Amino acid sequence: MTDQGIKSRPIYATLRRDSSGRRHLYVSAGSGPPPDALAQDGLESWTVAPTTCEGTLPRPEGVGERRFRSTRYLMETLGRRLAGERMGLRLYVEGPEDFLWDVYGVAQAHGLGRQEIFLKQSGTLARRVQCVHCKTFNEGVTTTIVRCAGCGANLFVRDHFSRRLSAFQGVKIDAEQPGDVPQAERAYP
Amino acid sequence: MGIQFRKDERFRENFSYVNSDAGVLRFPFPFGEDRYMYSVNIEPHIPGGPTPAFAHAFDIDEHYIAECQERAMVLADDPGRCQVLPHMMPAQWDTLELLMESLAADYPEHFSLDKDGDTWRWINRPLGIDQSFVFGRPETLPCAPFEYITRQAQGDFTLQDQRDDNLFVDGGMVTTQADWSLDFDIGMSFHEWHGPVPLAHETGVFDRALRFLLRLQYGHPVRRLNWTMTINPRLDTSPENYPDWGPDRTTVTPENVAEKVHLRVELQTLFRLPRSNAILFGIRCYLLSLKDIERVEKWRKRLHRVLTTLPPELAEYKGLTRYRDTIIAHLAPHDDGAELSPGIQPDQTVLPPA
Repeated sequence: MTDQGIKSRPIYATLRRDSSGRRHLYVSAGSGPPPDALAQDGLESWTVAPTTCEGTLPRPEGVGERRFRSTRYLMETLGRRLAGERMGLRLYVEGPEDFLWDVYGVAQAHGLGRQEIFLKQSGTLARRVQCVHCKTFNEGVTTTIVRCAGCGANLFVRDHFSRRLSAFQGVKIDAEQPGDVPQAERAYP
Repeated sequence: MGIQFRKDERFRENFSYVNSDAGVLRFPFPFGEDRYMYSVNIEPHIPGGPTPAFAHAFDIDEHYIAECQERAMVLADDPGRCQVLPHMMPAQWDTLELLMESLAADYPEHFSLDKDGDTWRWINRPLGIDQSFVFGRPETLPCAPFEYITRQAQGDFTLQDQRDDNLFVDGGMVTTQADWSLDFDIGMSFHEWHGPVPLAHETGVFDRALRFLLRLQYGHPVRRLNWTMTINPRLDTSPENYPDWGPDRTTVTPENVAEKVHLRVELQTLFRLPRSNAILFGIRCYLLSLKDIERVEKWRKRLHRVLTTLPPELAEYKGLTRYRDTIIAHLAPHDDGAELSPGIQPDQTVLPPA
């Protein structure tokens, strides 16, 4: 069920430092340290405090570290930061898939090319699912079928992924025979 | 003499759709052999060939006015069916120029284009349009140039930007589609937007097609045929509206199969555009009922053979699973197994009465 044979899914490599860059920025949806392969002098590291912090902001421990209360806060700060950047920045991104492509979108909007951005999936496999019928985004979907929060349709989560929307496509599973909805399976923990 | 356009056709509730005998015979039947499998069946898009549908760069037929009206209705409900990313403005003008010049040259009794420098006058007689505008100045048209001209053409269109040795679907007018969403796919690379197609990735079809298209030359357009089936003569089989048309697939019975089931053929054309270096992809949709297909002896026998041997993955992807056996049972008594000529041409010039 998790491999539907659809070829629009991204494949991710491990993060390595790109020596052609002059400045290196690591942004993560988690709170852990950057991978060793990146952690050399001059790496900036942006992380998000876990929700157990309940809005408090733990102090950064090292030089170049910065912490955020939420991924949303990080994303907005990143947009302002990239607006003033020059050539030579390398961006390393780690987190769930929707976070990766949200960051990618922000970076692209500010002129970073795809050779200057490196993505690594980690954390939850839960998916953002866009209902193709009503366009509502359903966040954090862990099951093969989800009831759309917008229109109420029972959506099958297709493996078809849009990097632009950072979302998978949801299609009404019982469109042909209304009411014929199989049991949802937990597939994206 | 010009084309006799049909009025009052409907491609949605209270369907009303008829093909003349000439309309049946010019249908671009997609099966040149008794078996079907994906291939890079691309050929030069030059006038001529086995169907009059290949005679012009952009084919216009008796359904032109009704299809433009249907498109306007879809766009009124869902403006997102036409989207173009901001960097594609040169490709928008390229498209407008190509369509206007082609239609005016190929159908002078219906369309004309007069140029005085950058000041152009476009006349579309079937739709009653007389528009003067300045080429390159979007504010002189009622809407953006790509939307403006594709509202006046049959079939869907997408715009492919070429960069990083790849093609990206960065715009389109998509209202008569076989179950794919421009709103979801816009911005995707070639392999990404073909992601859901089964079997073809493994055989390298998309790798070869992409390599070929990256080298497409200005002035040398190409074409291919693709197909699926649709219940009722419905043009808008979009994923957006699938909850509304999906149940149609359960309504096919041995009694109504010949009227309900339509072979849906896409004449796909690809044009390199001169200024933008983008590719314009035309997806011209033709619908023909099983009842009309049966009037052509070669086509009814060949369709029977293709459906009998179609791989189940393809039947599933094309949405035929629920009613394929009903079609086969209907066609089987009329296929004597005799050898059929290669190619898609009908091999007859008159039809038995409907």
